[in-house]
Amino acid sequence: MQNGILQTRIENRSFVLDPRTKLILLITMSTFVLGGMGSESASFLTPCLCVLPLFLLTVSKKYKSAATYAGIYSAAYLTFALFGPHTSGCLHFLLLGAAGIITKLMPSLTMGIYVISTTTVSEFTASMQRLHLSEKLIIPLSVMFRFFPTVADEFASINAAMKMRGISFGGKNAGKMLEYRFIPLMTCSVKIGDELSAAALTRGLGGTVKRTNICRIGFHLQDMIMILLCAVPFGCLFLDACGAF
Amino acid sequence: MKSEKLQGKDLINVGIYSAIYFVVVFAIAMLGYIPIFMVLISALVPILAGIPFMLFLTKVKKFGMIWIMSLLMGLLMLLTGMGYYSLIVGAVTGLLAELIYKSGNYRSTGKAILTAGVFSIWVWGNYLPFFLDIEKYFSTRQEYIDAMTRLMPAWMCPALFAAAFIGGIIGGVIGKSLLKKHFTRAGIA
Amino acid sequence: MIEIKNASFQYANSENSALNNISLSIGQGECVLLCGESGCGKTTVTRLLNGLIPHYYEGRMTGQILLNGMDIAKTELYKTARHVGSVFQNPRSQFFCVDTTSEVAFGCENMGMPERIVHQRVHDVSEKLHITPLLGRSIFNLSGGEKQKIACASVWAVNPGIFVLDEPTSNLDIDAIEDLKNTLLLWKSQGKTVIISEHRLYWLKDVCDRVIYIKKGQIGFDLPMEQFRLFSPQKISGLGLRTLSLKDLSLHPTGFHNDGTTLVLKNYNFSYKKTPALQISSLRLPVGEIIAVIGHNGAGKSTFSKCLCGLEKKFRGITCFDGVPYNRKKMLKKCYMVMQDVNHQLFCESVDDEVRLGMDEGNADNVSSVLKGLDLTELSSRHPMSLSGGQKQRVAIASAFLANKDILLFDEPTSGLDFSHMKQTSQLLRSLKGRKTVFVVTHDPELVLRCCTHVLHLEKGTEVEWYPLMEENKKRLIHFFLHEKE
Repeated sequence: MQNGILQTRIENRSFVLDPRTKLILLITMSTFVLGGMGSESASFLTPCLCVLPLFLLTVSKKYKSAATYAGIYSAAYLTFALFGPHTSGCLHFLLLGAAGIITKLMPSLTMGIYVISTTTVSEFTASMQRLHLSEKLIIPLSVMFRFFPTVADEFASINAAMKMRGISFGGKNAGKMLEYRFIPLMTCSVKIGDELSAAALTRGLGGTVKRTNICRIGFHLQDMIMILLCAVPFGCLFLDACGAF
Repeated sequence: MKSEKLQGKDLINVGIYSAIYFVVVFAIAMLGYIPIFMVLISALVPILAGIPFMLFLTKVKKFGMIWIMSLLMGLLMLLTGMGYYSLIVGAVTGLLAELIYKSGNYRSTGKAILTAGVFSIWVWGNYLPFFLDIEKYFSTRQEYIDAMTRLMPAWMCPALFAAAFIGGIIGGVIGKSLLKKHFTRAGIA
Repeated sequence: MIEIKNASFQYANSENSALNNISLSIGQGECVLLCGESGCGKTTVTRLLNGLIPHYYEGRMTGQILLNGMDIAKTELYKTARHVGSVFQNPRSQFFCVDTTSEVAFGCENMGMPERIVHQRVHDVSEKLHITPLLGRSIFNLSGGEKQKIACASVWAVNPGIFVLDEPTSNLDIDAIEDLKNTLLLWKSQGKTVIISEHRLYWLKDVCDRVIYIKKGQIGFDLPMEQFRLFSPQKISGLGLRTLSLKDLSLHPTGFHNDGTTLVLKNYNFSYKKTPALQISSLRLPVGEIIAVIGHNGAGKSTFSKCLCGLEKKFRGITCFDGVPYNRKKMLKKCYMVMQDVNHQLFCESVDDEVRLGMDEGNADNVSSVLKGLDLTELSSRHPMSLSGGQKQRVAIASAFLANKDILLFDEPTSGLDFSHMKQTSQLLRSLKGRKTVFVVTHDPELVLRCCTHVLHLEKGTEVEWYPLMEENKKRLIHFFLHEKE
């Protein structure tokens, strides 16, 4: 949370996808890898999709995330292959289950990490605008992204204050701990929120004219390739459905 | 001046409370990497997030704010790679929650707590992919299917649904009492 | 041309009216200073002008505000926004976007201007304010002064005829104030109307042409700056205003506690990701005194505070208090920081519970005497969050007392305070002398001269000056706060 979500620096990017392409990627991942939908005839596609986040993270120079993903995914896979046959009972199910959940969830989650670590809020809101989403959704969305780091900041200050007062976890009353964190967090956030609203309104937010967005986004060759790639499993699914009737 | 339509101020409020709400969700979801907690989360998230949610409800006076927040949660889940399932669930439950709170003229305490319960069901959407097509996904590996069905048997699905709803109600009650204890006296709500 | 006709306003949740039948007219190109004590209604006047009253803040309003004949109360906020640009007090909360370029463009985007023109305006304004290097950066990595410049740029990009500023320097250091002054002069030279509500007055005496003093919701006087400048310092403070000239400030000697005990800071080194932020190898400070910590933005003041209080986990320095060494964890028990936003450190539902939380058990009998000493007895059943800023500060101090803290650190205790509140805070700090060792991190020379016994001047993470505050050293201090101008 330290760097927030969608708090990317723009300068050091080499491989850029349009946020809309990224949404398509996410939808594809969540349909076929997370949701496990897919045609029998094209079951080889699922492992291919699992490699995709690794590829995208690497070309975006997010080596650390890429390595983490590769590490955890292969560890989960190996757990199954190596320990699966040699364990039994409760441990067996726990191991396999955990490995199963990881192999199912990780690719999609990693795609999520790729998306939120390579997109800026302006790009994202611009793409939402191009998709003709209502301003009623886009305005709260941008405020929310703007507000994440603020909430994290407030949280850090409150934690510091609690430490100086000698209140920390491990005390007898977990409920009190939560109360002490929540109360100042919410009072401060509400106050900042009020000021933020006032400032935004005096700068013309909420008018009837259509807002401009100066952020430049658009489809390029790499977007086309990714979209085509995503089209394959959907195509297979469609063909399967047709064939079934 | 007082219009029924959502205005800038209302939309900004939705954004702010969504941020607080999501930070709470995010902090708890971090526990989810430990598999056993994954199940607990469906109740924990609504309970804790219920506190900021109840404060949010005091700011809701017009149609749409709760629904938008629900959609935002779904969108965030999609963005963070949890799939679009909670977006679909949230689109329905958010609207329901909105209608419930509206039926109490955006004032009734009882309805507010019920709203918190219904709203929380979006969390359940995150578990849906685990119950969809287990057989197909692991079709090549029978052992996996066994393990998965042992860990997440089919009855778990409605149980998680109930956990989210009841968690939301509990969160609503806690939130309401904290509201009375602090925010009303502090002059915020 | 702005005309306020018999305007009164009462906030929805308040019992007194904030403004009482004010009439005023401001011509184009005028630069007007609104001053007065806290809560006198000057902020309310700015809100009348930018339309936040009655469109955002609810309450009962009478009278009329005309802007070139346009009635603001009947104009939607987004239409007023084309004519009136507003800059606010807290740079942290007035941004809508997360990156600087979008922020500067934000107003223009809301007007629905064509993309090409928005780019052009962002470019032009950034050149004029010399902020081109700041474009494309994250808002969260900027200093307070840089944020305020971005806020000015964003407002200017829309090119309104009127600028309204509400206490814009509350969170700024001396250099940033100087920059803001230049921005205002630039606007003035373009024939813009500028209305600024402010506590700190010294930087405005060559900027504004007209001074409107507001008292209890009414206009106390309305004078040209030439006349106002002739007011004696006594008259100015009698009006509850901050000084007009830093040079006129006088030292209020407090005497030294001087009992020979010392506080020695050893190995105060700290860096953020290899960028050194604090480098003090050894520093000997007296115990029981009130030490002002001054320096420019980025001098390492806040790192110093966090390290002293034991809040930086990786900090390895040692603090010797009266010869006894304390490591980071022990300092956490010995120190207490009163934060700039005191709201972060109030947790309980009543003042009484609040001061008992984290209290040293042996102190249970002292609660009432500490509360009494800080004038909190009557407030003991109130909710801390419902108190005023100064009262909250005192609650924080009470809890530090009861937790047996020996070192108190105040982070900007007087930002945004008017004269009488600043005076109150300084008296409170003075009363701590000899009982606690107090550090005051501040940009406020008036406060330093009123209550501090020593000055610690940090720059680039290390101490450049360290002196007891006596008449012969006063010049050094004033020089620091003025050095940009001389």
